Amino acid sequence: MGGGGMPEQGGGHGRKKKALDAVINVVPAIDLLSCCIAFLLFTAVWTQISRLQVQSMGAGGPPPTAEQQKQLQITLSLTERGLVLSTSAGTSIDIPSAGRSPDGAPIYDVKALATRLKQIKTEYPDQSAITVAAEDAVLYADLVKVIDTCIGAGLAAVAVTAAG
Amino acid sequence: MPIVQPGKRPAKRFEKSRVLGGKMMKGRKSTNSELNVVSMVDMMTMLVIFLLQQFSATGEVLFMQKDIKLPDAAHGQAIDVAPVVAISVAQVVVTGQKVADVADLDKDAGYLNIPVLEERLRDEKKRWDYIHQNDPDREKNWKGDVNIQADVKVPFRLVKRVMFSCAAAGYFNVNLATLDEANTRAFAATAR
Repeated sequence: MGGGGMPEQGGGHGRKKKALDAVINVVPAIDLLSCCIAFLLFTAVWTQISRLQVQSMGAGGPPPTAEQQKQLQITLSLTERGLVLSTSAGTSIDIPSAGRSPDGAPIYDVKALATRLKQIKTEYPDQSAITVAAEDAVLYADLVKVIDTCIGAGLAAVAVTAAG
Repeated sequence: MPIVQPGKRPAKRFEKSRVLGGKMMKGRKSTNSELNVVSMVDMMTMLVIFLLQQFSATGEVLFMQKDIKLPDAAHGQAIDVAPVVAISVAQVVVTGQKVADVADLDKDAGYLNIPVLEERLRDEKKRWDYIHQNDPDREKNWKGDVNIQADVKVPFRLVKRVMFSCAAAGYFNVNLATLDEANTRAFAATAR
């Protein structure tokens, strides 16, 4: 409060009492706050960049362990026509694209993909690995969107490879 | 020099004079006034709190570039310090140094790796090995992290080649840089 109420001088029997109010020197506080603001403004990060961790399949990567090989293999292919979700259990689900963007790139139906992935996650709760296989023409934005959907559905161990 | 109260200060030779020394002006309004700084302190406190929320101890790992527009992602994690491979629609850059033009890469599309990129990343790995040469668990501690900062319009054929080169150089843990979707939405709402 800017103008705090002055404490009342009680009594009033004519005797002069010592004043109860005290002036706090706020100048050091202002100095400290100014320094803090200057430092924080210099070090502030305005763009929050995050990362989606994926494994690069192919050269250099660690070979899959026996346990991983025993697990269900889920492969999600990004093609010109849409998404194809297949598992080593023999299931293959086509998720056709939801249309075309003005530059001709397919618009992937990520909502339908999320629903399918959640179904798989419900059936196999321990499953966390998925392989995303993309065609050469797939845009980076679409790849990231699909990987993000996979991670959101609980399949966090994403491996990326080329389709075909 | 001591700090004195603001006000009229007559010259020494007029100090004793009743008229010129200002002693007749007792009823006049005082020239000094007190500033109420409490509201300013309040504002500064709010600023400090806001800036503290924005503070990131890791600093800026990736620098935004004009020719690279990052995609949004809702489930991203905090980014770590690692070599950065920036891919725009025109060129491939590793930690600030250009390694290839996209037009040249499209010409030799038959190859999977990008030799200059691989070489640069091998140099980075050698540097890491040199820094950690006294660490007995060096091999275990090697995570092989690399940050890929690519434009939304970059095709996968380019990302694939970069990822292959990274893996060949020992960087098999690829971090795809994205913008935090919640943060982007908040900024858009503020702008509106």
